[in-house]
Amino acid sequence: MDMERRRVLRMGGALAAGAGLTGLTACSGSGDTGAAGSAGAKDKGAITVWSWQGPAAQMKALVPEFNKKFPDIEVTVQDIGNPAIWDKITTAMGAGGSGLADVLHIGVDYLPGYVEKFPNGLADLGELGADRYKDAFARGLWETVSGKGGKVSALPWEANSAGFYYRADIFEEAGVDADALGTWDDAIEAGKKIKEKTGTHLLGIDKPASEADAANFFQLLLQLEGTFYFNSDGDITLDSPEAVRAMTIIKTMNDAGLVSDLAGGWTALETSVKKGTAAVLPWPTWFGGVIEDLVPEESGKWKVRLPPAVRRGGTNAATVNSTHLAVAGSSKNQAAAWTFIEYVLTRPASQVKIYKNQGIAPALMKAYDDEVFHAPSTFFSGQKKGEIFYEALRAPSPAFNYTSDYARALKVVTDAQTKVLLKGADPATVLKAAAGQLAKQTGRKVVR
Amino acid sequence: MTATLTEVDKDGPPTAPARTARRPWQGRRLAPYLFVLPAIALFATFKLYPIAWSFVLSLHKTVDGVDTYVGADNYTRLLDDPLFWTALKNTAVILVVQVPLMLALATGLAVALNSTLLRGRSVFRLGFFMPMVTGLVAYGLIFSVLLNKEYGLLNWLLSGIGVDAVPWLTDPLWAKLSLGLALTWHYTGYNAVILLARLQTIPGELYDAASVDGAGAWASFRHVTLPGLRPALLLTTVLSTIGTLQIFDEPYILTGGGPDNATLTIGVYLYQNAFTYFDFGYASAIAYALAVLIGILGVIQFRVLGDKP
Repeated sequence: MDMERRRVLRMGGALAAGAGLTGLTACSGSGDTGAAGSAGAKDKGAITVWSWQGPAAQMKALVPEFNKKFPDIEVTVQDIGNPAIWDKITTAMGAGGSGLADVLHIGVDYLPGYVEKFPNGLADLGELGADRYKDAFARGLWETVSGKGGKVSALPWEANSAGFYYRADIFEEAGVDADALGTWDDAIEAGKKIKEKTGTHLLGIDKPASEADAANFFQLLLQLEGTFYFNSDGDITLDSPEAVRAMTIIKTMNDAGLVSDLAGGWTALETSVKKGTAAVLPWPTWFGGVIEDLVPEESGKWKVRLPPAVRRGGTNAATVNSTHLAVAGSSKNQAAAWTFIEYVLTRPASQVKIYKNQGIAPALMKAYDDEVFHAPSTFFSGQKKGEIFYEALRAPSPAFNYTSDYARALKVVTDAQTKVLLKGADPATVLKAAAGQLAKQTGRKVVR
Repeated sequence: MTATLTEVDKDGPPTAPARTARRPWQGRRLAPYLFVLPAIALFATFKLYPIAWSFVLSLHKTVDGVDTYVGADNYTRLLDDPLFWTALKNTAVILVVQVPLMLALATGLAVALNSTLLRGRSVFRLGFFMPMVTGLVAYGLIFSVLLNKEYGLLNWLLSGIGVDAVPWLTDPLWAKLSLGLALTWHYTGYNAVILLARLQTIPGELYDAASVDGAGAWASFRHVTLPGLRPALLLTTVLSTIGTLQIFDEPYILTGGGPDNATLTIGVYLYQNAFTYFDFGYASAIAYALAVLIGILGVIQFRVLGDKP
């Protein structure tokens, strides 16, 4: 409440204003960038890569090998951190690409937004030869990275399938057979037994939505039903019967006292895993590695399976998210950047190495030929964890349309979920209000 | 001004030839402008230009990467946006509840720090002012650690006396209180120092006269201290109002505006629109609405507090 506060806010205004200006100038100068884009040598130049924590470390580890083959490409991998990387990309793209790295690691939740709001922000990889990898990746992912006019904005890296990690020892203690759970309704019944016998919650949710991804579980249920916040036309489907059903499952669990509160987001989740406050972690592929890191001493107590279906006979495979590497439209070394991306993402040996070190599941289907995906895991009680998720990747999964308004959708969804979990609100009512609010903000239609 | 300067020059030393006499005249006329030029140029580049440009921006909407002129659409959208009103309401609550409390506290603190009975006054002054120079992000993080429900220090202390864990940041009402707590900790000392500076200009004779007239501590506070503090109170009120309306860092770091928008402020909402939703036009409209609001409140406060002797 003083000068400093004002300065901070003004700075924000200035940033926003500057971003808008350069947005305009970027448009008028787009011809130039396009022409300069294809320039740059394929095997020479200095490139910078932006990523976060684990993936950044893995790319760094690949650089020496890469340089044996391409000694004249100098690669600098920077760990920007997640979620900081999204703001950083936004501002840099808003500034017409000044200060932007050459290679960008982008999640499926942000990719459509960047593509739509900054049409020249990302280079067309099709021009660099990406089309030849059209069928190399898990199903549904090519639709995600290629858009209107056949432009290829990125290449898929990791493909995460919905998972169901659980404490086998707790299930056993409660006398519940985890493999027999056909639907989430079964899981709720099992959860009641587990709570009664062992005092452990079924699962955890960040009830006050301290972080943007607090609605992960809700989203997972939707995806298991084959729907999402938007349909393929970009219309809002937030108060569809499927969505109401998903939110009702969450409410039923919560009302039965089966949901532990992960208020605080990621740190709370870590604490919860360490303390063993929940028997189930309904997290995707990549979370297996996190559990192994957090509680190495619980080796053999854990198991994993695909999640139960929402309706009896429904699917239990869903590709819940993916991440990608893209080349900045402003990069002067697009060809060299593409060479690096190609090396990391389309060469099975690179992906196998990354999987071995970090457990990042490749979207590249050929990588799964390696035996590492078919070896039993001691931590997961001798299960072939890699194969379980490989099966899920091969199952048909629709491409979910994240649209450029995913962040707004996420906001209204987490608000709705908080109302249900903390205030006992009615799922149908809050979802209807959320859909209406989203429609007003985005100008999109609501369909059921 | 120019006329006077010219005359002075005409009256200058007669020995100086006319031509050389002109130069210092010109130089003197130019010099002040040259001196203010860097400041003006910087101000224009980094303040005026963005301010003007964000107004232009607020009249545009970005569709498929192209800025389209939409007139006052962004402003009419504001009126119909429940989240904007929520943000406004939250900000108003802080303004009405937290600011008066904090200023009362600051006044009390200033009087205490001014008291000759207090030993080590400068240590205390420094101590209370310290939060002000703490980095906003650092202090936000410290508070989020202190107030964490599961493993925060505060709940640990409370559990020591048998009180259940308080959901400091995760319950809508508690989150508001925590925010007020953090704000008070951060800004009370700063306001106290401004008030203290003014307090020291109140002549001691006034207090002597009051005590001769039989005034007690309370009466002399009411009739001497408070009227003496009026200009400083006006200043701190206006500054705090402006600051509160623009409040951003604390809710952004502590709660992200949650839970369920209970601590969403205009600043946070503006940020979300610009940097999470890429909606720069709408964000600029929010900024302008905010600026107008601040202007109106400022004028009102000057009228109410400023006019009287």
